[in-house]
Amino acid sequence: MPDRTALQAPPGAPITTEALVIGAGPTGLFQVFQLGLLEIACHVVDSLAMPGGQCIELYPDKPIYDIPAVPVCTGRELVDRLLAQIAPMKPTFHLSQQVSAVEPQADGGFEVTTTAGVRFRAGTVFIAGGVGSFVPRRIKVDGIDCFFGRQVIHSGEAVPSAKGRRVIVIGDDEAALDTALALADSDIDRPASVTLMHRRDAFTASPATVDRMRAACAAGRMQFVAAQAIGCESAGDTLTQLVVARADGTTLSLPVDLLLVLWGLSPKLGPIADWGIQLDRKQVVVDTEKFETSVPRIFAVGDVNTYPGKKKLIVCGFHEATMAAYGAAAYLRPDRPVQVQYTTTSTRLHRLLGVAPDA
Amino acid sequence: MTHVVTESCIRCKYTDCVDVCPVDCFREGPNFLTIDPDECIDCAVCIPECPVNAIMPEEDVPGDQQHMIQLNADLARSGWPSITKRKPALPDADEWKDKTGKLSELKR
Repeated sequence: MPDRTALQAPPGAPITTEALVIGAGPTGLFQVFQLGLLEIACHVVDSLAMPGGQCIELYPDKPIYDIPAVPVCTGRELVDRLLAQIAPMKPTFHLSQQVSAVEPQADGGFEVTTTAGVRFRAGTVFIAGGVGSFVPRRIKVDGIDCFFGRQVIHSGEAVPSAKGRRVIVIGDDEAALDTALALADSDIDRPASVTLMHRRDAFTASPATVDRMRAACAAGRMQFVAAQAIGCESAGDTLTQLVVARADGTTLSLPVDLLLVLWGLSPKLGPIADWGIQLDRKQVVVDTEKFETSVPRIFAVGDVNTYPGKKKLIVCGFHEATMAAYGAAAYLRPDRPVQVQYTTTSTRLHRLLGVAPDA
Repeated sequence: MTHVVTESCIRCKYTDCVDVCPVDCFREGPNFLTIDPDECIDCAVCIPECPVNAIMPEEDVPGDQQHMIQLNADLARSGWPSITKRKPALPDADEWKDKTGKLSELKR
């Protein structure tokens, strides 16, 4: 199985690349493959810590039945197979960061900047951004924002030591209950108290994990509160209390030193609107010949684009990526007509795929 | 195409859906949320968030809820404000969540 977190590039000087792919979901990954067959190397940026996009973040274990010649595979299996397929193309991934700016340059290319400070000089750009960048779902209570990253930690962020602290964990999924249980059961770094909070006394975590949580509560190692946060209190620059409302309308003030908000990640359509590209209902308008946007050399493929008859299907993203790769080749190789070659017979493609007899 | 909030939401309004919407297409009324069909991009991320399974794609709306397709559009266009952050559900939401035929309870 390929390592999904491999090939993370370090930040540094601007990186010159013929193609930059924004989004490492299935369409973005297949874009890498099609570009590779045309001998166009690329870099890939994604907001998640691993490639896979929605397949990994929303439905890693759900079966997919409409991939050609693959009667059934899970989201995770599809991503692993795509990573194996694109391995010969040696893409470089820049993960856990979003593209923040795309600036056209005099030479027709683009300067692209990410939230991690990585800069690219890209000849062509492929937006495979799906329904947006996955970012943590943050707690929204007046006055709590200033504690983010210090006493209030969200999904995907590093958790500071909980030793001796009164910890509240908000969430109802496997990750939230696991985290609360690990804290309640820890010998070293033992918190002063552990409280799990969720709106209702019903959980999306597995029944076995819920049973473990209830046992830990019964044994007094942690407690569960069915409530929602509605406010907070602080002393100086320290968060001290979380004000919560229970289902019956009564409110309660819970002392807190560390608040873990484990609501997972959800997509947000990012700054694409600022890149000067024509949009329709927040989706990128493309042609159906090259899947190029209103800005020459910027292509959009997969769930992020729109055109007459658009269907948000992975298989359509694969087609779009194929056509976009040829569209880019026409810009990047103006003196060399691009001919369609077949992977069954082409010795050139065999060399690119690492399957030539002398490779 | 759009996604549609069906009657199950009436008098509950759990608001889990609004947090995950990538395009902020939910609009809030007194005891119901609606989806603005001009904004929804059919990403389907909100569907599993709803604790009462009130949201579905337009083509999956069952026969007894077909009227909600037009109602979502009408309410969104009536000027209901955008809601982008989750808030506590209505106080008696849990009592109403399993009830059907709640259309007469809808407040505009």
